[in-house]
Amino acid sequence: MKWYEAISKIDRRIIYLLLTVFVILPFFVPFKIRQNIMPQTQRLFDFVESIPPDDKVVMISFDYTPQTMPECHPMAIALLKHCFARNIPVLGLSFDIQAPGLAVEAFTTVVNELNLKASNYDDSLFYGKDYVYLGWKSGFTAAVLDMGESIAGVFPRDYFKHPVDSLPLMQKTKNYKDVAIAIVLSASAYPEYWVLYPQSRYGVKVGAGLTAVMAPKYYPFLQTGQFSGMMSGMKGAAEYEHLIVEKGYTKKLGRAETGMNSQSIVHLLIITIIILGNIGFFFSRRDQKQS
Amino acid sequence: MKRRIPLIICFAIGILMIIQFMIPHPISREFGSTVNKWYIVLAAFALVLAIGNLIRHHGTKIRRKKTNWPYSIVTLTSMVAMSIIGFAGGVDPKSLYQTIYLNVLAPLGSTMFALLAYYMASAAYRSFRARSLEATLLLAAAFIVMIGFMPFGQYISPRLPAFAEWIMKVPNMASQRGIMFGVAFGSIATALKIILGIERSWLGGKK
Amino acid sequence: MNHDPWIWIGAFLTLMIFSFLYKDNPFYKFAEHLFVGVANGYYIVFYWQNALMPNLFEPLGAGNLVYLVPLLLGLMYFARFIPKIGWLVRIPIGFMIGWGAGISIPAYFQAFVLRQLQGTIITPQSFENTIDGVWAVVILIGVICTLVYFYFSKEHKGILKPVSRLGIMFIMIGFGASFGYTVMARVSLLIGRIQFLLGPWLGLID
Repeated sequence: MKWYEAISKIDRRIIYLLLTVFVILPFFVPFKIRQNIMPQTQRLFDFVESIPPDDKVVMISFDYTPQTMPECHPMAIALLKHCFARNIPVLGLSFDIQAPGLAVEAFTTVVNELNLKASNYDDSLFYGKDYVYLGWKSGFTAAVLDMGESIAGVFPRDYFKHPVDSLPLMQKTKNYKDVAIAIVLSASAYPEYWVLYPQSRYGVKVGAGLTAVMAPKYYPFLQTGQFSGMMSGMKGAAEYEHLIVEKGYTKKLGRAETGMNSQSIVHLLIITIIILGNIGFFFSRRDQKQS
Repeated sequence: MKRRIPLIICFAIGILMIIQFMIPHPISREFGSTVNKWYIVLAAFALVLAIGNLIRHHGTKIRRKKTNWPYSIVTLTSMVAMSIIGFAGGVDPKSLYQTIYLNVLAPLGSTMFALLAYYMASAAYRSFRARSLEATLLLAAAFIVMIGFMPFGQYISPRLPAFAEWIMKVPNMASQRGIMFGVAFGSIATALKIILGIERSWLGGKK
Repeated sequence: MNHDPWIWIGAFLTLMIFSFLYKDNPFYKFAEHLFVGVANGYYIVFYWQNALMPNLFEPLGAGNLVYLVPLLLGLMYFARFIPKIGWLVRIPIGFMIGWGAGISIPAYFQAFVLRQLQGTIITPQSFENTIDGVWAVVILIGVICTLVYFYFSKEHKGILKPVSRLGIMFIMIGFGASFGYTVMARVSLLIGRIQFLLGPWLGLID
């Protein structure tokens, strides 16, 4: 076998092994590279920054599943930390049925972490006052449209079975008029449906935290302002983590930031193997033409 | 009657929903809200039906001892067990239900998707070839985005992240928007055909 | 190394799924079927507690008889299991399809057509910054060419040929960008699993 045939026929198991090694290596040989912040992440951060404290809620729609947890879960954690640090109440909900478990986990993690650091009653976070998780609902389109009339009408009880009307936060959050922005963390088409239905009908501001696969599709929404900002994949999450650390809202970087080193070198690996495959292809084609 | 009644219901609801969207009068909003609440319930019933089908599928597999039938026992047993745990023990953050979700469902689901990284790398290596101008453009755009958006991209060239961003904001956006227009016109046309009864495949069967 | 049995269960299940990389095997099959079962068990609880109970049975219990309509419609789904009245299943389907079609027409028109057209049309403001104006023109050309490429009612001859060819160039750049992002996405998921195995399970990283 000629050298250029060999480099275009590497066994798949070698590629699997290389990929695994390249993902693992940066965890043991750490290096630090400065994050460059994408404009759409900055826009979302700035939007949340501009919301007055203790006023309207930030609605976070947790619509990602365990399958895409490494991309979207760090976004949820970073967003919650940002909102709570600025005393912005958070209203969580889900339309993807696999999501509630992760949403509860995100709230529990952030609230426990912040309450451990709280020095007094005012610094502590309380369910029903500072945040509410409404849970899951079927019939996404109907539900998001009807929340424009009454959120309690769609979610008479929250995830923990409390009557929604009995929660102090919900007494001042009746419908989209009381929502500063709906940020949809999703691995499927939910963000575009938020634009299609509640935004078209009620003018809700929509932000998005998407898996990287979906991000290219949504650039038109950024240009028209239909999205008020967007985080794309693990990189978007790492950028948001970076922004909240830079602003002093938290000291520790999250999981996304630490994964970005692996991400970087795996990209180099994939580019290299594609180039190798192409070199082999060109030389083989030249041989074929000559013969 | 068996076809006409469903067609009339489809037509009437379709037209009424268009009207209530266009005219946000309190009466139409009230109507829209009521119908939306019905839809939420109906969507839940549809999902119940899906679970019913799943039980039937695996039940038949076990009864007839089809290939790999013992695994169907795993599916049905774990489904029943998880439901009982949820109903009996609640769904609080500290419940067994949530623990199983985080330690069984989440690892299984996320690992299934993680496998895709291997297949994608292997497939890209074997089939991504610059055979034509179009394929070369695709490859070049992919490389620039992959390098430009990674933190190290700025060290290769300070302009690389901006170039990657330009690809996303100009040529990528133009093509995505073109596709979006196509989707929108297609969806509107299909919706109109459904409401007007031109598209009837959803009725199924002949009678 | 972690002593929590749940972490060990998660780690073993992770490894069972990864074993598919070698080849299909009983461990993978077990994990796959367990996933389907647990996921559906998880769904059943939600259907009942989050949808059917608060949005149907509780209002009905409170005497709100208007909810009999969705209850009846919902029960009609099950008519498909009784051949004699099987056609009744078309009624809830007709309701849902009609509802979806009606609601989507104005929404698509507003969000996907009008707003996107607004974003594409070049206005004097587009040229407040010359370079942005140039890119606005490129976007307009790209959108038109992409649409022409997907216009199959007429053969791509004459002027349509170069226009659709330019369209495919834009589409290819878009697909290339999407591929770049897809790599990012899939690798992220793998990183997530490796982080779990190295961190919470083996305790080798924070």
